[in-house]
Amino acid sequence: MLSTVISLKDVSKKYIMGGDTVFYALKNVNLEIKEGEYAAIVGPSGSGKSTLMHIIGLLDKPTDGKVIIGNKDISSLDDDATSTLRSEFVGFVFQQFNLLNKLTIKENILLPIGYARKKFDYNPEERAEYLMERFGILDKKDSFPNKISGGQQQRVAIARSLIMKPKLILADEPTGNLDTKTGNEIMELFGELNKEGITILVVTHEPDIAERTRRQIKIKDGEVVK
Amino acid sequence: MTYLGSILKSAITDFGKNKGRTFLTSLGILIGVMSVVLLMAAGAGLKVYISQQFESMGSNLLYVMPGNMFGEGGSGLSGADGGMAPLFVEKDIVTLKRLKGAEYVIPYYQKTVKASYVGTTKYATLNGTSEDAFPGNNFIAEYGTVFSSADNSAKNKVAVIGSNLAEKLFKDGSLAIGKKIRIDDQLFRVIGVLESKGGGGLGGPSFDDYIFIPYKTAYIFNTDKKFIQITVKAKTEEDLPVLKEEIMTELKKRIKTDEFSVVESTEILNTIGSIFSILNIVLVAIAAISLVVGGIGILNIMYVTVSERIKEIGVRRALGARRNDILWQFLAEAVVLSVFGGAMGLGLSATVVLFLRSFFPAYISWQSIALALGTSSVIGVVFGVFPAKKAADLSPIDAIRYE
Ligand SMILES: Nc1ncnc2c1ncn2[C@@H]1O[C@H](COP(=O)(O)OP(=O)(O)OP(=O)(O)O)[C@@H](O)[C@H]1O
Ligand SMILES: [Mg+2]
Repeated sequence: MLSTVISLKDVSKKYIMGGDTVFYALKNVNLEIKEGEYAAIVGPSGSGKSTLMHIIGLLDKPTDGKVIIGNKDISSLDDDATSTLRSEFVGFVFQQFNLLNKLTIKENILLPIGYARKKFDYNPEERAEYLMERFGILDKKDSFPNKISGGQQQRVAIARSLIMKPKLILADEPTGNLDTKTGNEIMELFGELNKEGITILVVTHEPDIAERTRRQIKIKDGEVVK
Repeated sequence: MTYLGSILKSAITDFGKNKGRTFLTSLGILIGVMSVVLLMAAGAGLKVYISQQFESMGSNLLYVMPGNMFGEGGSGLSGADGGMAPLFVEKDIVTLKRLKGAEYVIPYYQKTVKASYVGTTKYATLNGTSEDAFPGNNFIAEYGTVFSSADNSAKNKVAVIGSNLAEKLFKDGSLAIGKKIRIDDQLFRVIGVLESKGGGGLGGPSFDDYIFIPYKTAYIFNTDKKFIQITVKAKTEEDLPVLKEEIMTELKKRIKTDEFSVVESTEILNTIGSIFSILNIVLVAIAAISLVVGGIGILNIMYVTVSERIKEIGVRRALGARRNDILWQFLAEAVVLSVFGGAMGLGLSATVVLFLRSFFPAYISWQSIALALGTSSVIGVVFGVFPAKKAADLSPIDAIRYE
């Protein structure tokens, strides 16, 4: 049986709006992500996809319910412990790439290493070289992000998300800023990585993109509908 | 690389990419540090200068001067106003010479004169004094000899001149001996050239430009036969207090108490020292204000930096940065900014001091280097901590969602 990477139990995210009205960005979400899965969270704009991804990625906390990683509810962890867990557990890929423009490609990829508290059983520099080589960006390693194409930037971001060998890759609209062809290449890359056993969760509002994954989690008005 | 090393490196490369803003921001610190360092350098130099001046004259000296300079009711140096007319006469010299503790008694009549030899004319300070002036001031003849008490009694027109003046008039000091020089309208025979004493500088006359003649001979110029000052050298340091009292007692028989003073060299040094420490406090306060203003500049720019980089903070948090990682990052940037200003201030001060040294023994001590860099790091920390804390306190979710 495949082990569970993360599971959400009755997770809600409430915002108190003006006039005492409560807005549910997420409502009673139950979700389980298994090791090796390649899933998409799909839904229209404003449905709560990013909110869900931020909770899974430990950037945000639910107002109700439990987030369980390795049989432990992580809602009670303090800020430092959450940061450390985030650093080891999850790798993010964003729509706007979110690379730091004053760092080189290689420095960007190695950035998470500087914040890690664990001992490495591999050489991060070598892994960075390997990832750059594999993603066809090795010749750009000393360039700066604003000097390379969008597709290349997203490859750098994916390399950065993989440098720590996390349990889970979270990609929020990874193709949103790319043309169709480049977007397809990125999705192909995710497919390959998943075949190697990496767990990937892609957030998208495009059904085409969602189809390319192996499981679709549909979300509407903060609720998982299928 | 260590953790600290990597944040410092990132802070420094960050500023490398923003040179103009970095420079302008650290300008306040630069000016503050520069004024502190220059003040300290000038103060230290002045101390050296003053003690050099006094050391070159020797110790155990008492200065008998007109005016109520340090007496009760006198207000420091300003008490000397109007009391500077020459006051002492030959009888005083003779009286003081008889005191048991007195080794040398050196009267001074001073006048600025034109000294000339074969067409070369120089301004010099003429001193009408006694033969005691030479051993009492540690003046040694490099060529020839100094004058004697017999020269004084006989009113011989002989002169002993400083090495610098000798060089100016004769090219080489050794050539001066036996030559006749014209001092104003009088001819004098040069019998000795003194070893160089240094000093002077600051535009004041140096001993090396002095002319010494017997005080009785000097009556040709000193028609009043009065002396501006008498320096008395005590036989030993222990004799100083008693000698001072005896001089007072003797002179009081002839002159009113508040018309003259007897001071020790240490008293003069202390007074000059305290005037400079008051001046220093004022100037250091001004420097401190400019440091605070510089610190506020850093505070401002760091707040701007933080709000410009909220997204970056969110990304770093998403990649695993803790609250303190963000805090240290921005604090390091503030300190680097401030120390950069401090280092530039130090560098510029060093240039200025190097230039000053040709007039004046100013120098930058290790303490002032430590103080400059220490103060600027402290300012970086104090003024950087608020923006850095603001950055660290941003919640990861607000930061990453920020557009
Ligand atoms: N801090 C907040 N305060 C109030 N409402 C919020 C807050 N953050 C998010 N929301 C709301 O929660 C809802 C879900 O937002 P979310 O960003 O998860 O949507 P999304 O599905 O990712 O949409 P998109 O496809 O446009 O990115 C939205 O209606 C949004 O306005
Ligand atoms: Mg979204």
